[in-house]
Amino acid sequence: MQLDFKETFIEVLTAITPIALVVISVELALLGASLSSLAEFAIGTLMVVIGFVFFLSGVRTGLLPIGEAIGSEIPKSGSILLIIGIAFVFGFFATVAEPDVQVLSGMIDVASNGEIGRGFLLGVIGIGVGFFVAMAMLRIILGIPIAYLLAAGYIAVLLFALLTPPDYIAIAFDSGGVTTGPLTVPFILALGIGISSVLGGRSQLSDGFGLIGLASIGPILGVMAMGAIAV
Amino acid sequence: MMESGIFRGIDHLIVDVSLALIPLVIFFSAFQFFYLKYPAGYVMNLLKGVILTFAGMVLFLQGIHIAFLPAGQEIGAFFGSLESLWIIIPFGFLVGFLATFAEPAVRILCHQVEESSSGFISESLLLIVLSAGVAGFVALGMARLVYNIPFLPVMIIGYLCALLLLPFADRDFIAIAFDSGGVATGPMAVTFLMALSVGASAVIEGRNPVTDGFGLIAFIALAPILSVLLLSVVFRKRRVKTNAV
Repeated sequence: MQLDFKETFIEVLTAITPIALVVISVELALLGASLSSLAEFAIGTLMVVIGFVFFLSGVRTGLLPIGEAIGSEIPKSGSILLIIGIAFVFGFFATVAEPDVQVLSGMIDVASNGEIGRGFLLGVIGIGVGFFVAMAMLRIILGIPIAYLLAAGYIAVLLFALLTPPDYIAIAFDSGGVTTGPLTVPFILALGIGISSVLGGRSQLSDGFGLIGLASIGPILGVMAMGAIAV
Repeated sequence: MMESGIFRGIDHLIVDVSLALIPLVIFFSAFQFFYLKYPAGYVMNLLKGVILTFAGMVLFLQGIHIAFLPAGQEIGAFFGSLESLWIIIPFGFLVGFLATFAEPAVRILCHQVEESSSGFISESLLLIVLSAGVAGFVALGMARLVYNIPFLPVMIIGYLCALLLLPFADRDFIAIAFDSGGVATGPMAVTFLMALSVGASAVIEGRNPVTDGFGLIAFIALAPILSVLLLSVVFRKRRVKTNAV
């Protein structure tokens, strides 16, 4: 646990350092930032690092075991409906708690002057992921190759895009991008691997994988639909 | 003054994060009560993890709000108001490359691909290709702001390329490629680049932050998909040749 904390800390620090250095040098050299604003940036960066380390450790010790426990418990019931229902709920909850998704929807809210509300957007993205995670479970159970589903999903995205008002297109694709974050990915993988291992007989590698790719199609379609309805 | 500055808006954040996590806890509690029935000590440990997650999310988001978002928007606005607007394109390339190269999740993906390809696709090669790929797409995102390149055609061409590559790639790599879309840039890089792009679009004449400022994350997500698929196709050919000899 102690070692784990230290390793995570180093990982997060490595990831953040280049951006922090770029920001500080641009602020100093080109913007002539004051020392107090640089200090605030430094403190904020420290909060980001410590916060992210806490978050990752918490996900590992709390949310992931919960995901695995539920993921391996559900298939024992043998009810396809239950598996799919739980997969939906899982996808939804993991997504609305994802930091990237929170940041993106907050930013869209501000940039659109509240026209595209934060809470509503969070809900739509969550439902989109939930729906496609449920579809992915159905895929594992029925043994449909992942390539078919991915191709069908992206063709649907392209067709939907033609019907979506321009204001929503970029936002829709961005919503698909942020769902694959540090919470959703391990959480959904845990569920998928749990279900694949209980069902047995199938290749675990290619069954568990592909889930995340599918999960990011949902919010794209969801936000596009939201745009088509809103206008 | 400084104190209120650092913690401004944290009360809203605490409410938001609670709203995000509490349903999950209730969901688990129901499971614990009806099916799982874990011993109390184990449940306490899980709960500690959830509390750690909560604290981490609040700290992380607060840091993003006081440091990365304002800095990104400020720097974006600075580049957006320059006489020679194009400078933001190489700047985007630089940040995209550095961020991807330093991202631990990318290393894990590269390592995983090397193992799955039994060493045919080396970790360091993929790392360079991926970093350059992401950097190229960030630069393209910035070029889109400068030259008003339409968003959808780029996405359509990108995904069509991915679809065209599908039949030539190994089955295992297809899944890895599509899963890796979000791996390229961690939350820190994404928030900074997003703020940069929104900040620039707010000051460049004729650009709208909602339609032009967003879309960068979607561009970035394309890079690893195309990189992994492309390498898989290239090396599959080579592997087939080696096997034939």
